[in-house]
Amino acid sequence: MADIVRKQKVSVEGATVRERLQAMDDSAVVTAFLGGEERAFSELVTRYQTRLLNFVYRTIGDREKAEDLVQEVFIRVYRHLHRFDRSKKFSTWVYTIASNLAKNELRNRSRNPLVLFQTVQKNFQDEDRPLQFEDTTSRPDDMYRKRHLREIVEETVAKLPEHHRNVFILRELEGKSYEEIAEITDCNLGTVKSRLNRARNSFAEIIAPYVD
Amino acid sequence: MDCREFCDQHLAFVDDTLAGIELVRMQRHILECEACASHDAKIRRALLLFRNLPSIEPSADFSQRLEARLRTCQNDNLFVTTQPNLRRSAIAATVASAIMLAYIGSTLFHSDAPRDLVMSPVVATVPEPELTPITTSTPAIVASVSAGLTIWPAALFAEQVPVRFAHSSLELANYTR
Repeated sequence: MADIVRKQKVSVEGATVRERLQAMDDSAVVTAFLGGEERAFSELVTRYQTRLLNFVYRTIGDREKAEDLVQEVFIRVYRHLHRFDRSKKFSTWVYTIASNLAKNELRNRSRNPLVLFQTVQKNFQDEDRPLQFEDTTSRPDDMYRKRHLREIVEETVAKLPEHHRNVFILRELEGKSYEEIAEITDCNLGTVKSRLNRARNSFAEIIAPYVD
Repeated sequence: MDCREFCDQHLAFVDDTLAGIELVRMQRHILECEACASHDAKIRRALLLFRNLPSIEPSADFSQRLEARLRTCQNDNLFVTTQPNLRRSAIAATVASAIMLAYIGSTLFHSDAPRDLVMSPVVATVPEPELTPITTSTPAIVASVSAGLTIWPAALFAEQVPVRFAHSSLELANYTR
């Protein structure tokens, strides 16, 4: 009986800690983790895993590799969190790590001509496609059109030059400010704006015939 | 506003970061220029398409794999934190033993070699002048001095009496001459 009560008490305490962590901002969660609260790291993972996965996946185009890279991001965060400058934004730091890892991956790939972005895109199986993309209320031809359109969008993004794509995804998908993008990509503000403008124009230019 | 200016400002226009007056000028230009209006629509439509791409979710075993990797990382961290201490003490011990061996070696190696005799420097000093010891009078004389005087001056006086007498008798002899 006492054992059950103790177990219930522990679970209630765990739940309160989790709730408290959920209510905190990133900086406070980081402080809690550095203060010895291991569960704070899980909270950071929960907050960033999907966002980072989408960012890395859109950058490199390989879902499996994107997951590996996101895991690597969290490992690095875990190892080096004590060195993180807490006067800066945690999200910017995490995205910087992810961006660098994605960049390295693309660089390694370019050295190996056998693995190309397009190849990876074509190998993407139908079963792997996210379910939310399909709208079951739509007619089959609509579904086909949507799927086709999505493929085109992904291929178009993949066609953008790497430094344009990176800035484009950070802005349009992640909603980062110009300043944050400049920090993440280690560029000045002018370069970010110019790259973003070019990326938007190129993307719109390529996609336009399919949209009209 | 001309089309060139419109294109230059278009990034801020799409992102809604233009100041009020600039925004009005851009909107007015769109109404006037069909090409720029078409360009604006094309960009906005493309962005809408991209922003609405479905989000992908991490696979089911993502968390488990991450936890396993973090556990390994924790163990590595423990190893890394204990490792520098061990390494530091090993280095200190090695250095200490090396110094000790060097010292022992040098003493053994140089023990047979002829050495120059090194003596402490001699410092010559002027000998202090010998002080004439104060001879005390016999207790009998000291005891005989009257109680009105201090004892030691009286004893000295008593001691020097013959000298003074001799001196005065010499002086007297000189005067009489």
